[in-house]
Amino acid sequence: MPCSSNRTMCSRGSERYRITTESLTNGFNVNKSSGYTYIGKPRKSIEGGRKVTGSEPYTSDLAIAGMHHARPVLSPYAHAGIGAVDKSEALAVPGVTHVLTAADLLTRDAVIKSRNTCTLAGDRVIFTGQPVAVVIARSAEAAETGAELVHIEYDVRPVAANFMTASGPDAPEIWPDGLPGDQSIADGHATVDEKAATKEVEKPKNVHHIHRHERGDVEKALAAADVVVRRNYRTARVHQGYLEPMVSIAVPDPMSSGVTIYLPCQTPVWTRDAIAELLGFEKRQVRLVSMTVGGGFGSKNGILDPLVAACALATGRPVSMVLTRTEDFLTTTPSAGGGWDIEIGAAKSGAITALRADIRSDAGAFASGLGSLLALLTGSYYKFPNLLVEVAEVNTNTPHCGPYRAPGAPQAAFALESTIDDLARELQIDPLEFRLQNCVETGDLTVSDSPWSSVGLKTCLERLREHPAWRDRNCAANEGVGIAIAIWPGGACPSSTVCRVSGDGVVTVHIGSPDISGTHSGLVLVAAETLTVSPDQVEIVTGDSDTNPHSVDAAGSMVTYSLTGAVLEAATGVKTKLLEAAAEKLEAHVDDLLLENGAVHVNGVPDRRLTIAELAAEAETNAGGPGPIMADGRAAVPINAPAATVQLVKVHVDRQTGEVTPLHMVAVQDVGKALNPLMIEGQMHGGAVQGLGFALHERMVYDDDGQLISASFLDYDLPKAHQVPTIETVIIETPSPEGALGVRGVGEPPIIPGAAAVGNAIRDATGVRINELPMRPEVVWRAIEKDHGTHS
Amino acid sequence: MVPTAFDYQRASSVGEAVTLLAESGGNAKILAGGHSLIPTLKLRLARPATLIDIGRVDELKGISEDGDTIVIGALATHDEVATSDVVQAKAPNVAAAAAAIGDLQVRNCGTIGGALVHADPASDYPAAILTDEAEMVVQGPGGSRTVSAADFFVDIFATAVQEDELLTAVRVSARAAGTGSAYLKFPNPASGYAVVGCAANVTMDGGKCASAKVAFNGVANVAFRDAGVEDAITGTGADAAAIAAAAECAGNGQECMSDTFASAEFRAHLAKVYAGRALAAAVADAS
Repeated sequence: MPCSSNRTMCSRGSERYRITTESLTNGFNVNKSSGYTYIGKPRKSIEGGRKVTGSEPYTSDLAIAGMHHARPVLSPYAHAGIGAVDKSEALAVPGVTHVLTAADLLTRDAVIKSRNTCTLAGDRVIFTGQPVAVVIARSAEAAETGAELVHIEYDVRPVAANFMTASGPDAPEIWPDGLPGDQSIADGHATVDEKAATKEVEKPKNVHHIHRHERGDVEKALAAADVVVRRNYRTARVHQGYLEPMVSIAVPDPMSSGVTIYLPCQTPVWTRDAIAELLGFEKRQVRLVSMTVGGGFGSKNGILDPLVAACALATGRPVSMVLTRTEDFLTTTPSAGGGWDIEIGAAKSGAITALRADIRSDAGAFASGLGSLLALLTGSYYKFPNLLVEVAEVNTNTPHCGPYRAPGAPQAAFALESTIDDLARELQIDPLEFRLQNCVETGDLTVSDSPWSSVGLKTCLERLREHPAWRDRNCAANEGVGIAIAIWPGGACPSSTVCRVSGDGVVTVHIGSPDISGTHSGLVLVAAETLTVSPDQVEIVTGDSDTNPHSVDAAGSMVTYSLTGAVLEAATGVKTKLLEAAAEKLEAHVDDLLLENGAVHVNGVPDRRLTIAELAAEAETNAGGPGPIMADGRAAVPINAPAATVQLVKVHVDRQTGEVTPLHMVAVQDVGKALNPLMIEGQMHGGAVQGLGFALHERMVYDDDGQLISASFLDYDLPKAHQVPTIETVIIETPSPEGALGVRGVGEPPIIPGAAAVGNAIRDATGVRINELPMRPEVVWRAIEKDHGTHS
Repeated sequence: MVPTAFDYQRASSVGEAVTLLAESGGNAKILAGGHSLIPTLKLRLARPATLIDIGRVDELKGISEDGDTIVIGALATHDEVATSDVVQAKAPNVAAAAAAIGDLQVRNCGTIGGALVHADPASDYPAAILTDEAEMVVQGPGGSRTVSAADFFVDIFATAVQEDELLTAVRVSARAAGTGSAYLKFPNPASGYAVVGCAANVTMDGGKCASAKVAFNGVANVAFRDAGVEDAITGTGADAAAIAAAAECAGNGQECMSDTFASAEFRAHLAKVYAGRALAAAVADAS
């Protein structure tokens, strides 16, 4: 393993591994990591075997008695009024039981203000793919045939499809009466300090929000700078590209007069609350059963489920809806494309003096909530004494842009880190040294003048500086090496768990947060370590909103950071109860007892021992005893722990065809403390590949009428195994001051720097700067041709 | 993603398949490997009343030799074509085209007959079929006939095979002595289909290019032989300069396709690049 040093397998025991309540609040002394048996050791994922053998049940595998099948009828137009709906032909199809429109649903009076609140359109549609009707049938075949036969009259209206021109004189106004109150989940992904943001300014047409941050005097600083680099960039709208299409099964619940929903969900708390509000229910009337998520990356947050729940309640039947891949492209919430006009100045000494950035972000049909993040991610990685960052969020007649792993960050890093690289070249300073000289450290200011909490970016850069792929870089013709940095600000949410031991010795940890990234396979090690049992003896119970202890939603790299302390506290509480129970049985003082290898024994008398199974069984049956063994654990980490990363990419460029082939990648990431390094490496690999997707592959293309042209995997290019190079992972552990055991978030950082690093590698290989994502062959070829024309 | 209802019939011979086709009155589809047809059915882009499954018709299977001619049964899978010693030795462009299709799972199921009749202009066989001057054997109610490669591809997704006919075999002549071959492809990174696929057969005689056959798929609505390139390279020493000059002629007079991945202008450029690379590879193969 590339992670640190001198761990030994021997000498387990409480002398080497003692968790105290103090360590939970003041941060854990990680020097003790050398004593860990399970924490920090690579271990396969809990559900991996079930997944690779196909036995893991997913939502669409469920068959509920009496279940009906629903097919949505999606708008073929990006902007239109809805006229008469003729249901008769569809209702005549054998097996079709209902054709529902907006008026038939409980949500008929709810304000449509986000994709999550779009059940069925009432009087107008504002993006192609917006659901207008649903056909319910006894079979999937009948539902599909019925959906073809719903005849809807549309009054087609002018379309604003392009966010760069949506403020122009010819563009129609999408929300003439103003956009109803924002409700988006994207800004829930990180803690953003808005105190300096959002001065009220006149907003152009179709711009729903402007975020503005100002520090010092940018104009003066740019005028005084020895070198100024100014660039324009465009980034594409991309899709999360999860393997499992959106799916939801809703069952009317006669007990609560509410509804039970089976769904792959990464945000059960947020989603349950949003559905309850939309349906006009009490929260307790909405029960979510979160199934295994077959890929979410930010998207699986309740897009389909309110509609399916409303359909189940309208028909009184269990209703299942599974989208096709094309419907996923048409009607879910992709990641926003954007435009950057960015200018950075520096002195000859290499000190950066000013940043000016003018950013337009494509929100789609509703408020994206991305603007404050884009400002943060563009203006906070370097020490900018003077800055002016403005972000305009623009509405278009396209699907609502939503969160995708590190929302906005790969795009912002592409603009920032491409410009930084060119600035280093202009200054004739090594690009890594230039970054080291200027990058932020703990206490430096973010864009909104709040200080960065503990951030280990410099350590990542220093580590890469010594890595042979950088130190000994050696490029053949048309090869180049590029690097880029990133920090994910992170976030935290108060979280709780329950830990118990049952009479068969199984340790159960109840976790409300779904596992979309291997988090459970890390947290299980915390309980195993504390209770000195094999992780195979620890079971995670999760998934039911009626019984989940309240816990952070799986978003924004927050789960491990928010929950580790809670699991530690609950397991420690169980340990205390086991020791107390054993003290009574073994007639010894608690201070003389040791918990080792899943059994408690008297210190120095190994034969006087009771296993935790024996102790738990005794506790479950002994009237007058200590009572069953269980404890809760809570954590409410007060501040976020930023997670830094640096990536290196080596590429080959075919100058004739514009093809860029990544040859090698190195991903260096500060994870604070690696609970399960195998899961973390998986996250780093997966994120790096998605970064390559941003860099070279992925692009949703709409025409001027707002029609999606790249609506299947024949045209939408996800990176595939043969297009991905070797990815070396280097795990850095700079403990976070507030996260239990020193952990930080892991999931978001590795997707961020790849696109910028590839762009910088292409620049290194060819001398040409590509200013557009993805850097697909035609774009690279045209840039090389243009450059050739300039120089010849 | 559920097809409309259809009847299923399994043919046990070519004759029975042709009879069933005739009985269907133009409302049937032939099912071979299913790799183009099944997705089309699931998307409801085709709604045939009947599927006629020829998958178990033995006379359509296998690869054999008839003198200097290689006979590839319509049901030969892409993998069988790609890995056949005979095809590799005598019609290497056809083998290389087969090897360039999809992935191994696709090549294990998809058939040469199905691919040719589907006539996707971005599929891999057409350029090789053209350079190797294959003949397609087609059987209808009136008996069997052959169609030359030049006459086979009519338009996008359209061939000379009529509604009541079945493609039964592909006959390919072994390449002439002194001939070098190459099929090179710029794949669409999403679909794997050819953005540009260029096949070349170059026959060298005494250090000179005695004849050249160069064909493209992916570039235009219909795969085509490129006489401009062929004429430019023929009679030259096929050195780097001659190849570069010939490659510049590629695609002249063709209306290039345009899509979200590659504009017509970029395709035209890639056709020239791939003409040069395929010619160079074929010349190297000839020596």
